[in-house]
Amino acid sequence: MIGIADLSDAVEPPRVGRAGLAALALASLLFTSRAFAEDPAAWLARAATAARALNYVGTIVYQHGGRVETSRIVHWNDAGVEYEKLVNLEGPPREVIRSQGEVRCYYPDAKLVRIEPQTFRNAFPSLSSQQQKSLAEFYDLRKAEASRVAGLDVQAWVFEPKDGLRYGHKFWVDTASGLLVKARIQDEKSEPIEQFAFTDIAIGAKIDRDMVRPSFAAAPPEWRVREGGAGEGEQADTGWTVGRVPPGFSRIVEGYRNLRGKRAPVAHLIYSDGLVAVSVFIEPTGGAVHPTGLMQQGGINVYVRQLDDYTVTVLGEAPGATVRQIAYSVARR
Amino acid sequence: MGEDISRLMDGELADGEVETVCSRLNRPDGVTTWVCYHVIGDALRGSGAHTAGFAQRFAARLALEPTVLAPRSRRGSPLPIAWAAAATLAAVAVVGWVAVSTLEVPTTALTKARDAGAVRAAQVRPPAVPADYLLAHQEYSPTVQIQGVDPNLRAVSASTAEPRP
Repeated sequence: MIGIADLSDAVEPPRVGRAGLAALALASLLFTSRAFAEDPAAWLARAATAARALNYVGTIVYQHGGRVETSRIVHWNDAGVEYEKLVNLEGPPREVIRSQGEVRCYYPDAKLVRIEPQTFRNAFPSLSSQQQKSLAEFYDLRKAEASRVAGLDVQAWVFEPKDGLRYGHKFWVDTASGLLVKARIQDEKSEPIEQFAFTDIAIGAKIDRDMVRPSFAAAPPEWRVREGGAGEGEQADTGWTVGRVPPGFSRIVEGYRNLRGKRAPVAHLIYSDGLVAVSVFIEPTGGAVHPTGLMQQGGINVYVRQLDDYTVTVLGEAPGATVRQIAYSVARR
Repeated sequence: MGEDISRLMDGELADGEVETVCSRLNRPDGVTTWVCYHVIGDALRGSGAHTAGFAQRFAARLALEPTVLAPRSRRGSPLPIAWAAAATLAAVAVVGWVAVSTLEVPTTALTKARDAGAVRAAQVRPPAVPADYLLAHQEYSPTVQIQGVDPNLRAVSASTAEPRP
């Protein structure tokens, strides 16, 4: 089994990224420190770091709503700079390349490339004290079974909701590297709603640049290139709020975002209970026709409604009733 | 029975068999199979567009439709009769079906029904989880950050149908 110490062989010496090593050192510290060894939240923080810091190649199966999608993934941390390539193995071909703050999606059948900026707000979930409090109050956090996934020894952790307003989560973490190798969202009957799992994985594999290169030229001739607008917005007081927030949820971010295809920035509020987030988007309806009601994809529920001249879109990893309740509680401050 | 319904949908039944199979659609499990097979077919073709409980709502709407018996066209597919038969069902227990929404086009089955003109097709809005909202959301979702690979998988999956001219 590849241990964390072996990673130095996979990354070009001696330019091992300080940020990467520091993160790993911190993660190892968290892992070995007695105080955190049994703490699910600490395990998850370690998993988030590992996902960014480690090199790995593997096959992922994503299941949701009776659909199964298999993809091949390569993740490379080159001196602190992350590269990732995701290729789906069935259905219409698709390639996603993430590098240097940009995500490129290649659709060979449609001869289309979509380019979007991608930013992660936090290096690992830096939960506010409010979120940490919610996590403990609204979920039962417990250690579950030790088992094996993709040939690795893993430890399972369960976040069981205490009320019907949230889903249960189960995470399987590789005990050696801390990487999350399987994750499931389940309903109140413990039936899976959505699941990711590696079926094979090589952690600490030697990666070379070609493995994360797109199979196509940067802008292949005859292909259309669609660039996403700058997604980033500013933190601002939008004048909107959610009147009756479900217990445990608190607002963590508020501001405006530019979304592709929209003329004006859209108000975006985010509420979180420490484990999941629910986004509230509010925009003037204008002349556009938006389908309203409840929509679902795997663990994500979306509720859209009209409020005077505005369209309210609420989405997140929470049951339909929760996103619906939030949607109907949106009001001016 | 499932196989017969499947052959009915593919137009593989002999004329004499159609009536027999259609009469089976009057049973609750018959309609369930019918609706489910269409959803499966659409999902396989990547053209399905449904919300949770779609099958249930659709069957309920169909139950309200007047029974219209279209003249059998020798050359056409036997679908019009099948739709008419399904429409006479009063109470149906169907399986709630959750599927991923992709394209902005109606399901294949509904298109055929519309063309046949035998039954007024139930209005189906094919909703999609809007990919751009999803991407904006996933920058902040703690669950997503834990999983690492999540954002690309989910967002790209949601926008499978977007590359259309």
